[in-house]
Amino acid sequence: MSNILTIAGRELRSYFTSPLAYALVVFFLGITALMFTLGFLLQPRAQTDDFRYLIESIVFLALMITPVLTMGLVAQERASGTLELLMTRPVRDWEVVIGKFLAAWGLFAGAVLLSLALPLILEIGGKVDWGMMLTGYLGLLLAGMAFIALGVFASSLTSNQIAAAIIAACLLLFFWLVGWMSYSVSQSLGDVLKHLSVRENYVDFGKGIIDTKSVIYFLSLTFVGLFLSIRNVENRRTI
Amino acid sequence: MIEAHGLTKYYGLHLAITDVSFHIKEGEIVAFLGPNAAGKTTTMRILTGYMPPTFGTARVAGFDLADHSLEARRNIGYMPETTSLYTDMRVTQYLRFCGRLRHMGKAQLAERMEYVVERCGLSERANSIIATLSLGFRQRVGLAQAMLHDPPVLILDEPTVGLDPKQIIEVRNLIKGLAGDHTVMLSTHILPEAQMTCERVIIINRGQIVAEGSPEALTAQIREAETLLITVRDDNDIVARQLKDIPQVIGVRRAEQPGGYYVDTAVGTDLRAEIAEFIVGKGWGLLELQPVELSLEDVFLELTTEEKGVA
Repeated sequence: MSNILTIAGRELRSYFTSPLAYALVVFFLGITALMFTLGFLLQPRAQTDDFRYLIESIVFLALMITPVLTMGLVAQERASGTLELLMTRPVRDWEVVIGKFLAAWGLFAGAVLLSLALPLILEIGGKVDWGMMLTGYLGLLLAGMAFIALGVFASSLTSNQIAAAIIAACLLLFFWLVGWMSYSVSQSLGDVLKHLSVRENYVDFGKGIIDTKSVIYFLSLTFVGLFLSIRNVENRRTI
Repeated sequence: MIEAHGLTKYYGLHLAITDVSFHIKEGEIVAFLGPNAAGKTTTMRILTGYMPPTFGTARVAGFDLADHSLEARRNIGYMPETTSLYTDMRVTQYLRFCGRLRHMGKAQLAERMEYVVERCGLSERANSIIATLSLGFRQRVGLAQAMLHDPPVLILDEPTVGLDPKQIIEVRNLIKGLAGDHTVMLSTHILPEAQMTCERVIIINRGQIVAEGSPEALTAQIREAETLLITVRDDNDIVARQLKDIPQVIGVRRAEQPGGYYVDTAVGTDLRAEIAEFIVGKGWGLLELQPVELSLEDVFLELTTEEKGVA
């Protein structure tokens, strides 16, 4: 456990020594604030119910920033050769992957928590349904886990950060769009595709419902992403 | 302390090393010598647990690298060929990170950090960001992180590459100072380095071990003749022919300088007096006569070069 924290700590610190983390957090908070302002603060007749459309947009925003957040995690260490030194220390492969995953997710969670200031502003002038709001945020954090795990996987595939970002973007967009395909295929296949879709699984959180099925969906996506990343890190050849 | 048995590594279809076996005893300093791309780094990456061999087994400090990789790695300090460090960290930050991954206690870590920073000549740059350091200083940070946890086994891949001559001497002395308490395996393609710092040399070429022993033993092993270098003032066509007629002279070759010849005589003979007398008697004007010692370089070239004279 201490190895995981050491690695996560180094990774998190490294985010903040480059402008990347600041840029991502500012971008995320800026767009979120803009959507909040346009969707709620400037809408006199806004209903708490409209919140779910907003939080769905925030999930998509998270999906957009994930590839940039995760692209360097493994790929950069492969490219610069630091992975070799790291892996000859007494640390397990999975400790490295989990540590890096936690760093990226920690940064994401930090940005998400900061954005909670927006519903607090709403509270001044109106009434916020906090149960629904917090469920939405819980879903956001869960979805972020799955996104970042897939991003780590993409980063573990290559030593080129740009390639890692593109692979991550394709993977994430696939899981976002796969639900739409369900309308153009047979009923049974469509159901399967719907269950695979991030959007379909997220919808309930936005309504304030915690569906075990969706929780399991995000957790299994996280697990698969991390499992495949560990397998890739075990493969030592410079890709 | 380090045992390799039949290590073989394929990268896809490319065979990097074949049947590499050797044994390094506790407290020994051994040079792993070979031209570029001979398989030095591959062997070291296997011994440090970075990647598994395709065939063969290796043990470090008594731990099998396949079954007890973590325990073996705990006993190793490794300095890779390209000292790749986290360039966004400060030297002390980086060393602290390394110490934490080695589960060193706070007090122990502080004490060891002070020691390695001083020994590796990093005192004045200890708070610098690694990205701002020159290659020579980065090499020293690489060495410092390898020594940080005081490991019984040190594996150093080309530790003096990129250093200036003064630093090279410092690093070599540092490595020599580790003898006894530490087992050191260092790779190099620089012969004098092997000769100066190490008690034993393992020569690898094209992925195979071609020779092993002390520098002296290796030169003796390869020696096929005693060689004398002579220089005459009045060089002419018959010198070589007449020298060859002296009993026990095996061959005569031209040396680089004008009037110079290498005279090979049978192993164990000393014909200096006879040859001097012969040349003086002919009146060719003897300018120089000296025995030629075979250097490790000759051994190395002999073992690793197919076409002589190319290197």
